[in-house]
Amino acid sequence: MMMTSMEKPHRKTPLSERVIAIMGVSGFKGRTILQELENDSRFKKIIVIDRRKPTIETKKSKFYKLDLTEPMVDLRLSEIFKKEKVHTVIHTAFPITPPRHQSLAHEIISVGSMYICNAIADAGVKKLILASTTDVYGAFPDNPNFLTEKHPMRGGIKNRFLADKIDAEKSALRLAQKHPQTVVTILRPCHILGPNIQSYKTNYLSRPFVLTIMGYDPLFQFVHETDVVRAFMKAVEGDYPGTFNIVGNGVLPLSRVIGISGKIQIPMSEFVMKNLIQFFWYLDMSPAPASYLNFLKYICVADGEKAKEVMGFTPQYSTRETLLSFVGAERLRDVDLAEAES
Amino acid sequence: MLPPKARTSRVTRLHLLQGLKSSKNLNAEEKDLLKQELEDRIGRVEDEMKSSVEKLESELRQLLKQAGLNREEARMKSDLAKLTTLLEERIQSLGEPKGEGKTIVTPPKASTLRKFNYYLNQLLSIKTYKQLVFGVTRWEKQDFDEFGRDPAFEKKVKPLFDFFYHQYWRVSAEGLENIPEQGSALIVANHSGTLPFDGSMIRLAVTNDHPARRDVRFLVEDFVYYLPFIGTFMYRIGGVRASQDNAERLLRKGHLVTVFPEGEKGIGKLYKQRYHLQRFGRGGFIKLALRTNTPIIPCAVIGAEESQPLLYRLHFLAKPFGIPYVPITPTLPWLGLLGLFGLPSKWNIYFGKPITLKQYGKNAIDDELLIHRLSEEVRQTIQEMIVKGLKKRRSVWFG
Repeated sequence: MMMTSMEKPHRKTPLSERVIAIMGVSGFKGRTILQELENDSRFKKIIVIDRRKPTIETKKSKFYKLDLTEPMVDLRLSEIFKKEKVHTVIHTAFPITPPRHQSLAHEIISVGSMYICNAIADAGVKKLILASTTDVYGAFPDNPNFLTEKHPMRGGIKNRFLADKIDAEKSALRLAQKHPQTVVTILRPCHILGPNIQSYKTNYLSRPFVLTIMGYDPLFQFVHETDVVRAFMKAVEGDYPGTFNIVGNGVLPLSRVIGISGKIQIPMSEFVMKNLIQFFWYLDMSPAPASYLNFLKYICVADGEKAKEVMGFTPQYSTRETLLSFVGAERLRDVDLAEAES
Repeated sequence: MLPPKARTSRVTRLHLLQGLKSSKNLNAEEKDLLKQELEDRIGRVEDEMKSSVEKLESELRQLLKQAGLNREEARMKSDLAKLTTLLEERIQSLGEPKGEGKTIVTPPKASTLRKFNYYLNQLLSIKTYKQLVFGVTRWEKQDFDEFGRDPAFEKKVKPLFDFFYHQYWRVSAEGLENIPEQGSALIVANHSGTLPFDGSMIRLAVTNDHPARRDVRFLVEDFVYYLPFIGTFMYRIGGVRASQDNAERLLRKGHLVTVFPEGEKGIGKLYKQRYHLQRFGRGGFIKLALRTNTPIIPCAVIGAEESQPLLYRLHFLAKPFGIPYVPITPTLPWLGLLGLFGLPSKWNIYFGKPITLKQYGKNAIDDELLIHRLSEEVRQTIQEMIVKGLKKRRSVWFG
């Protein structure tokens, strides 16, 4: 057993000879994975590709400045991959919050991913790891209580940001189909919480008053940031082609999530809430458009069984523990005892 | 081991002693308990001291005997006697409630200014108001089921359902021995009565009357989860959205699951069609049973049709509420919320012999005709059970 698990990643190239490229390190996932790879002595060379320089201190990584919206970006990417003999590409070049500039977001997420996949096919890169999210399933009342990886991705209906993400996934799947020698791993974490991460989802929970929709109390599921990074490292080390949900164990309804965070819940009528959020979105005061309100109404909970069986990934934090860790860090920040990383 | 009652009283006494209960609010009973506890403790201390003195005495005597100091014995004895009297006096003084006990019974009086301050603080702090307003939805330590069931909420609602089970519809369940004590089973029942109370009544029949007190999960139609409040309520009391994935997950975990293959057609049939089973969909429950290797328990519910006879389906006004139709029954729109529960007919629930599908093997799932035939057989069984039950029944209201 030990031998097979040791042999599997070593079959083609040993870890120390692998060159790992990270696309996009300004976001939380990319930055944390880069940090983890920098600290790991098994990896000797890392390529960082982004529009901006990484904010963390790097020793063994080489930085390439590249904008995914430039013309002929696939050619340049392919050149870089060939020149550096890249073995694995980790694709995390996605906007963290739903961007207001929708056509730009489409260029980066959907078209950019397609270019990256084309470059990978051209340069003969061995592995692609794509960061997605369970939001791509969409929140619907007729979802099963636990969404498996086989479930269709319906999140793109009326939600262009998620539609672009689904496009990115589809281009990765197309790559896997056309070039079976390339290992394509798609990781779908659910709502990520933790002491360091800041996103529009943590913003929602860190205000003293939390708006909810009257009459709806959906089940929520969280995964801890360290668990997400562990899942990515597992995908880097071993070859696991396919799509995997990365989720914490257990579920909590929204009302109890708010109760545990010690916030005050303000239920609003759906009609008022929808228009209010859309109005705030136009005024640049709301982190997400009204199409996201479905996630406050209906269930979108994924099943992490496949990641456990195939990847051997078990989350170390349950949903409740993740929330408690997030809330604890929030409280320390409130009394100026801790600082957010970004 | 103390008998349970004595133990609890002792626990409360201990709590009193530790001052967990605020001392000024003691009533006579609690004072008695406290006194008893103090006396007990003093008695124990007394006993211990006496025994230790006796031990000391005997040891000294032995030592003296060994040393041959008989002359000194008399003096020693007198000293010991003095010591014991002293000790006894000390014990006596301990027995009088002037130390510990007295402070608890009569605490020092708080000054009125302090009291005023306290109440003012309470009045001004936002915490008080937060608790007042949001105290109802206070979170508890108990975790949720993975399907969103809230055990605490269920406990609050159960008395209402129990009232309907025992007093209003006087449900009697027969054939409960057909339900296994352990392991999964699929209860297939007829759906009737305009509103799906039959699901919760089947569930109560098993949880209240089955020797193993087993829990039953019931599958709920899709459209319920589109509705605000009702969808959330269904989640909290343990309903699961009807889908193959959910049902399979439940069965694989060894739950009892109730399904109504008639679905919406069943509760939506008019009174003139009562007790006529509708067509059984696509036979999804047979596939489920084949895939998970679970026995099917046919179940007939009699009496639900008369409790809520559906006279007319009103399609006008249904769309804005997100429901398939507005039901018109003798009670429903007229009595408002009270009308939801219908008339007090007598209910009977019959559980039939389990049907196992093991003999058909694994390839049977792809055989659509076989599945259809099996589902028709189950439908026939339930229809026969209903006819038998109706023949037995003499009165709609008294059974």
